[in-house]
Amino acid sequence: MSEPPGVVCRECPDRAFVNVRGDVGDPRLRDAVAQVAGVDLPREPGTWNQADRSRAYWLGPDEWLLVVEGDDGLEVEGRLRSALDGHFSVVDVTGTQVHKELSGPDVGKVLQKSSPYDFHPRHFPPGRCAQTVFAKATALVAAREDGAFDIVFRRSYADYFMRWLADAAAEYGYRLD
Amino acid sequence: MFRIHCPHCREARSEEEFSYAGEAHIPRPVDPSSLSDSEWGEYLHTRTNPRGPHREMWVHTAGCRRYFNVLRDTVSYKILAVYPVGEMPPEQGEA
Repeated sequence: MSEPPGVVCRECPDRAFVNVRGDVGDPRLRDAVAQVAGVDLPREPGTWNQADRSRAYWLGPDEWLLVVEGDDGLEVEGRLRSALDGHFSVVDVTGTQVHKELSGPDVGKVLQKSSPYDFHPRHFPPGRCAQTVFAKATALVAAREDGAFDIVFRRSYADYFMRWLADAAAEYGYRLD
Repeated sequence: MFRIHCPHCREARSEEEFSYAGEAHIPRPVDPSSLSDSEWGEYLHTRTNPRGPHREMWVHTAGCRRYFNVLRDTVSYKILAVYPVGEMPPEQGEA
């Protein structure tokens, strides 16, 4: 009981997830997101921005995942729709997403075991995010300033994913908060 | 196992993340109903199957989910070029 766990997984509940698509060159899109969620859409591939309670993850050249803590997905979608004008897509995907935070000294090894992607800090420093193959399924992984990782995956994989993580992290000591 | 450079994510990713999407540059006939069975069959099934450089489509399934074109040598498996959908490959080794 005395050994500190090598990997800690924490649930991040109570978040709104909204998928946003549109032309990043269109200032109306960027302004609307900044106004509603208070975060800038990242333009650089594979990066994410955080501001206050909001995060914006780059998913593709015209697609982002917006995560707002303590908010309701449908309401965020509604506010974005009212603020937006032109050609865009805004979809509340809260019901399909699970957000976990992985931390601990051995978290890198568990990521390495789970994915072909190179999550080493020299390649994947804080501020980077990537959608990739994870545990033979897919997940969005983001590197944070504090050395922890945010992992977003589909709710339908949740049971399988949590079992995979518990198994992969068992040898380092695993704690689920 | 390939390492494929995704032009949208702008980095090389493992082949596991991608799916092959068939030969590139096969335009869908403008008016399919005016085609004979053999012409339609030609469009659906006939492929060039070259020995050497092959122009093909790939999709970054587990990543950004976007399509792009690849010029790949079917003998050496070497990827000669990656270029956007709607463009023709760079001059080298025209298939």
